[in-house]
Amino acid sequence: MPVESPFHPRTRELCRSYRWKDWAGYYAVCAYDTYPEREYFALRHAAGLIDVTPLYKYVVAGRDAAAFLAHLTVRDVTKLKPGRVTYLCWCDGAGKLLDDGTVSRLDDDRYLLTAAEPSRAWLDRNRRGYEIDIDDVTDRIAALSLQGPLARDVLGELTDVAARMRFFRAADTTLAGAPARVSRTGYTGDLGFEIWVNREDAVRVYDAVLTEGRKYGLLPVGLDAMDVARVEAGFLMNGVDYASANHCLIESRKSTPYEAALEWTVELERDPFVGQDALRREKERGPARCFAGLVVDWDETEALYRAVGLPPQVPSAAWRASIPIYRPDGRQVGYATSGAWSPTLKRNLALATLNAPHGAIGEKLKIEMTVEHVRHRVTAIVTEKPFFDPERKRATPAREEPAKGKEVAS
Amino acid sequence: MSGDRAIVLGGGVNGLVAAIRLARGGRKVVLFEARDVLGGLAAGEEFAPGFRHTGILHDASCFAPELAEELGLASHGLALGPRDDILSPEAAGRGLVLSADAERTAEELAAHSPEDVARYREYRAFLDRIAPIARRLLSSPLPDPARTDLGSLARLAKDGLAVRRLGRDTMFELLRLGPMCVADWLKEWFRSERLGCLLAGPALDFGFAGPWSPATNALLVRHEILSGLAPRGGPAALVRALEASARAAGVEIRTGASVAGILTAAGAVRGVRLASGEEEPASVVLSTLDPKTTLLTLLPTGTLDPALVHRLEAYRSNGMTAKVHLAVAGSVEFASRPGERIRRARTGGSFDAVERQFDSAKYRQISPRPILDVSVPSVGSPELAPEGDSVVSVLVHWVPRDRADGWSDGARDQLGNLVLAALAEHLPELPAAVQEIEVLTPADLETRFGLAGGHLLQGEHGLDQLAARPTPELARHVCPIRGLFLGGDGAWPGGGLTGWPGALAASAVS
Amino acid sequence: MSASQVWDAVVVGGGHNGLVCAAYLAKAGRKVLVLERRHVLGGAAVSEELHPGFTFSVCSYVVSLFRPHIIRELDLARHGLELIPLEASFLPLPDGDSLCRWSDPHETRREIARFSPRDAETYPEFGMAMSRIGFFAKDIIDQPAPDPTSLDPRELARLLRLGGRFRELDPDLQHLNLQLLTMSAADFLDLWFESPVLKAPMSVSGIIGTFLGVRSAGTAYVLLHHYMGEIDGAFRSWGFSKGGTGGVSRAVASAARAFGATIRTEAAVERVLLEGGRATGVVLENGDEIRAKVVVSGMEPRRTFLSLVGEENLDPEFVTKLKRYKLRGSSGKVNLAVDRLPEFTCRPGGGAHLRGDIAIAPSVDYLERAYDQAKYGDFSERPYLNVVIPSIVDPSVAPPGQHVVSCFVQYAPYWIKEGPERWPERREAFGDAVVDTLAEYCPGLKESILYRQVLSPWDLEQEFGLTEGNIFHGELSPEQLMFQRPVSGWSRYKTPVNGLWMCASGTHPGGGVMGAPGELAAKRLLAERAV
Repeated sequence: MPVESPFHPRTRELCRSYRWKDWAGYYAVCAYDTYPEREYFALRHAAGLIDVTPLYKYVVAGRDAAAFLAHLTVRDVTKLKPGRVTYLCWCDGAGKLLDDGTVSRLDDDRYLLTAAEPSRAWLDRNRRGYEIDIDDVTDRIAALSLQGPLARDVLGELTDVAARMRFFRAADTTLAGAPARVSRTGYTGDLGFEIWVNREDAVRVYDAVLTEGRKYGLLPVGLDAMDVARVEAGFLMNGVDYASANHCLIESRKSTPYEAALEWTVELERDPFVGQDALRREKERGPARCFAGLVVDWDETEALYRAVGLPPQVPSAAWRASIPIYRPDGRQVGYATSGAWSPTLKRNLALATLNAPHGAIGEKLKIEMTVEHVRHRVTAIVTEKPFFDPERKRATPAREEPAKGKEVAS
Repeated sequence: MSGDRAIVLGGGVNGLVAAIRLARGGRKVVLFEARDVLGGLAAGEEFAPGFRHTGILHDASCFAPELAEELGLASHGLALGPRDDILSPEAAGRGLVLSADAERTAEELAAHSPEDVARYREYRAFLDRIAPIARRLLSSPLPDPARTDLGSLARLAKDGLAVRRLGRDTMFELLRLGPMCVADWLKEWFRSERLGCLLAGPALDFGFAGPWSPATNALLVRHEILSGLAPRGGPAALVRALEASARAAGVEIRTGASVAGILTAAGAVRGVRLASGEEEPASVVLSTLDPKTTLLTLLPTGTLDPALVHRLEAYRSNGMTAKVHLAVAGSVEFASRPGERIRRARTGGSFDAVERQFDSAKYRQISPRPILDVSVPSVGSPELAPEGDSVVSVLVHWVPRDRADGWSDGARDQLGNLVLAALAEHLPELPAAVQEIEVLTPADLETRFGLAGGHLLQGEHGLDQLAARPTPELARHVCPIRGLFLGGDGAWPGGGLTGWPGALAASAVS
Repeated sequence: MSASQVWDAVVVGGGHNGLVCAAYLAKAGRKVLVLERRHVLGGAAVSEELHPGFTFSVCSYVVSLFRPHIIRELDLARHGLELIPLEASFLPLPDGDSLCRWSDPHETRREIARFSPRDAETYPEFGMAMSRIGFFAKDIIDQPAPDPTSLDPRELARLLRLGGRFRELDPDLQHLNLQLLTMSAADFLDLWFESPVLKAPMSVSGIIGTFLGVRSAGTAYVLLHHYMGEIDGAFRSWGFSKGGTGGVSRAVASAARAFGATIRTEAAVERVLLEGGRATGVVLENGDEIRAKVVVSGMEPRRTFLSLVGEENLDPEFVTKLKRYKLRGSSGKVNLAVDRLPEFTCRPGGGAHLRGDIAIAPSVDYLERAYDQAKYGDFSERPYLNVVIPSIVDPSVAPPGQHVVSCFVQYAPYWIKEGPERWPERREAFGDAVVDTLAEYCPGLKESILYRQVLSPWDLEQEFGLTEGNIFHGELSPEQLMFQRPVSGWSRYKTPVNGLWMCASGTHPGGGVMGAPGELAAKRLLAERAV
């Protein structure tokens, strides 16, 4: 049985749909309403509040903390300045992906690592020779993700660090009298913040954010709506779009950062780090597969439905399944692992792993689609990710102008 | 690459063998030994004024005669002879002497356990039958099951066929005996457990196993196959010959030179850093130090793949042996053999008695009645002690490095007293004649010889740690760091002063 | 049937393997007769009502690796086989704490994390690695043992295929395989875990039924057994059979009969009938002669040859090998009928933790001390217990509200220092040691006992024909497995006596309620056209 997150006393009341799922051993809301649309639109037009406590969180501290994290991950974390956050991934010795997450430099020699998978054992196993302490704060730190164009306005009601915080920065502050850390990060590809508070302050902070947020249209948001947003943002998800090498029964299920479109996080030429040799070879050889965004042709979809006398249907939520992708000549060249109908873009999106030569932007492929019990193949075009990328996501606020949130992408 | 400078770490038997092979192959070789004397566990040293022992280890009979020949050790003073007779003393009774001389053993057995005379002959015949193929296996690089090139397959087929040619029954027997415990196998052969204990002893020495532990039988057979003629003058004499041969081959030997780190650049070695701070460049570093020291301590942090680091950390190398040296006035005489000049003895007359030693070690205790592996090197080498006096050297097995209460001066004294009391059972005159005693606990041996864990074989001889020694990726003497080679007893084919790990590592260099 | 009838095959012993073998032969249209000495079928896989209203799985108490394809091929579900999975592994601790491993991975993780957060994460990784190897090992248990000494090209091809599959494993797994085959369970688990509370109950699966300790080399590979069933997909590996373990035997017997086999109980075989060195049937204790083309022994090998065939009719070399075949029973069984559900101090009340197996194995040292006592010829004063209460999930085996408590006990050596025949004098003291051990965790236990059955290894031998009380018909040590089970050269169910075959746990792949030896023997008999 899953356990309750520190926000549970509130989320339980708010979740009228009774739709929950198990996220890393915690109860997590799928959607507060029966349908996630309202929550999705709150995320894209106003602001949404998501309980992300189940993320695994580790504080790595000590003289060698930076060297240790640089050794363990694909990024040279030693270059990260205090108050900054970076997104990265880490691999096993064979250069196969284990997980992805963020590292945030808390102060001179303290770092916060977030992960999708339990990573304590991995950290411990690699610590030999490093003067560090590793503290698993997963259960002690409650986390909220406040996302959407008005997120800064909402947070601005509670703290003044929000107003001028730049993309991938973080700061300590006080929220509703409770010590908190705020970072300008998130998993929706939009303007947004993540809030880290002590477990015992969770409900107090939640109440404050929700109360202040009401006037900006803030809604509590479940995982279903977040999933649509993350597909629009083109973010890959551990356990869905790739499998951690630790969980793979067979070699072909493992991927490298190059295959998962994470090559931009890899800093190869520096002191030895885990998987370096293998990644070097992978880079020289070129990855065998790639991770790409697909836009499914709408006219063809519509025609298929029309042929059976139906109006076109779109999935109401993001999906996670393995759908074959073909070349026009019929040979399978990959598989899509997640996708969603984007209410904002009015496009049917998919994220797929493709054999390397087929990942070029603009390449025309076919995706399998079942219409009225019959399988068809519909054109899907390799498209640049993110599919949706509002300027506000990374824009640096001007001093006098606290928010740019009203400008909603069409 | 010939003419390149190669550095050998460790001046024990393996280090010297490797250095000579490398130097004879045309390289410039520098050997660094941290201690002031060469030889490592085989170094003969003065432990009390006027009293010298011939090495921490007693037995050099496993040193490969092929290597002695190749390295010209005879011309550097090495004389080989039959290994020492060994006595299993009895508190009341004559005990049993096992000799390399078949006649002598037969006489002894006839008096002790007549039906074993013929069985023992058959036992030796069985071992002689399998010896050639087993020796070849143990003196070649470990076969790699992952390699499918013609040469490897041909070798595999050749070895497979050679085994098969011994006959189906022998082949079955070979497959059967390995996983067994020594006690079961030897009980199938012999009626006398005392004989069994004498034979089983070398298989169990230094390790974390008792006679009832499965897979110890493989170690028994390994030892029986390797053990042959022994250097006269003990391990120390072997070291002297090797040193002479090394100098003759042009090896530069630097003692008292402790290495603090192995230097690497771009995935390859570039030399070593001495404790004194100097850097010594080299394109080859062949380490005969134990694998944990070499790879986990001397290499810079973060150089190795974490999976390998984890495997090395898990490599079992908890020391199980202590050493006691006694300077004794006058000669020593075993009560069971009055008048005989005994050089080697091993106490323990039943498998259960030996097993109880292991039981104590399992709970990280020392047996209150330790079983002793005794050498009296001054018998036949009177120069080791002042005239008329004796040197008694005792290996005490099943003394755990990870003793529950840790090691302290008090624990060391206590161990010394236990050993004296156990000796007195068989050498009643001895305690009064002891002039000086040196007790080296596993912790002392760890420190003195720089052995991570204090294991005198540089790691347990578990089948997993022999067949992939120390780990699968390192089992062929090469490392993920180019130019770094492993050639100590922590490498294939394992410990016991055979010289093969050093020799095979040197071959892997070129 | 007339007395002069010649059967195609007569199977000696109606244990589950004998029955499986008979069922397969009958299914292939052969005329098969099964002879069972006792009044009830099943051998050690038997359920009996020893106390009114209480049905005991007298010996074997869980169904571990019963091959799913046998269930399919013999259609055992139709013949009444129902398997109920074990839900948890519960370890009460002397300090009042406890560890419970559940089928829910997150719950297990949190539970283990109380003792070691690191182990909690390693635990599923360990399961993953073991499953990967188990997948490889499964090929070995579902096929006759390969023969490495054979020069037959087909055999060599098979060996090469196995070798090839081994090479396909990545290097990590090859190493793991090597470690599993050679290391002790305790050492092997040390590579993965730090918490003794986790290591002790995991390591014991390496020693069940063997005369070895958890620190004995070679015990690690048995850990695999726990992970092999899980990837079959057919059912979870460890479970109860409804109505007790005898349910398996009853279902197989019913299937065998449906295929046309004849099964007779209380028909003890005295010897194998030999004519011109060939087995031509059996002679019963009552003097009846039964003739058959082949005799298939479901008995333990040493007993089969030395008592049914006779040393004088065998090659001395073969006799030597049989005599050194290690049986050395090391375990006993205590079955209790109790008037209420046992209550553990560390987790009061009933609950899901009792719906699986309960281990008394508080530390590796505890287990090792239990073994040390046995090495020197005593039963363990404080033994390892594997306790199950099948009446919780299968109410048919006890009156309402009352329960059956089955305790598998190790170590109880057959060779006690007084001599095995003195076991009857020590039996109750042994039973007391078991009840006392359990009562340390369950204080109300003694008062709740209505009936107690104590089975020493001596009793297992006398009652069930398990020589030296060995529950697996011979130790599962590496030198007695695969092509060496029971003796090298005779691992293909055929024996040096023409017309005499073996089909039980003393043959490849060995003991446990697997059914595999019976099935493989039958298939071999048919393939060689011996019947």
